[in-house]
Amino acid sequence: MMTCKDVSTLISTGHLEERSLGRRLAVRFHLAMCRHCRAFKRQLDLLARAARASVASSEPAADFEDRLTDRLSGTRTGSGEPRS
Amino acid sequence: MDEPALILLRARDPDALRSVVTEHGRRLYRAARGMGLSSTVAEDVVQDVFVTFLETLDRFEGRAQVGTWLFGILHHKALERRRSSARDDLNEPVDTVFEAQFDERGHWARRPLGPDRAFDARESAAAIAGCLDALTGQRRDVFHFRQVEELSAAEVSKITGLSVTHIGVVLHRARTALRACLEAKGWGRSR
Repeated sequence: MMTCKDVSTLISTGHLEERSLGRRLAVRFHLAMCRHCRAFKRQLDLLARAARASVASSEPAADFEDRLTDRLSGTRTGSGEPRS
Repeated sequence: MDEPALILLRARDPDALRSVVTEHGRRLYRAARGMGLSSTVAEDVVQDVFVTFLETLDRFEGRAQVGTWLFGILHHKALERRRSSARDDLNEPVDTVFEAQFDERGHWARRPLGPDRAFDARESAAAIAGCLDALTGQRRDVFHFRQVEELSAAEVSKITGLSVTHIGVVLHRARTALRACLEAKGWGRSR
């Protein structure tokens, strides 16, 4: 019998996908029966969505690719330093 | 990446450079920002990543996916910039935080609340920025690769050099630390 701690640890480490079908079914069964573990899983899902939303707002300037390509065109193997 | 493309890149062919920059540049920039680097530093690091990529083309030899190879370079450069240790201690306070949520039978002692009583995604996005900054380098990178880039543990293992098992431990610690940080801000507080 899996405990809430077993289930939440498997979910939190992301190791569930590597476990046997029997173990994965046991976790699904536990989640169907346990609203606290379902809440824990939803919290982790929300963490990921929040982190994705936080990063999505980070965009470089519009000419980012142009400047980067120009600088890289001026580099040569072994120099280690970009030329502006 | 095939041999003709590698030859063009070695020769710094502008079209080949633009193609690889256009395909991977912004994703690398966002990842660098997600790893806690400022906008100015992130742009410098992304340039540095491409310079290293071009210098190590002979070692690349089309073996790995270009994106995975570039993320691997970025991960090491981000660690250098933050001067963080690549190691995680085996026994961390954050493990105690997780253990304390359960009773001796493995049942929840401090029950997590569902999102209906937690912050919504928008509030969480604003709150999580500070909490992400508090994560140590390795935790932040693994959390970013697994949860934001949605890469598999096997892919993150190639990028970081950590074992798949250790990536699970680091991800678990990152999530535990983030939940604890957000709970301190009133997110999903148990009643």
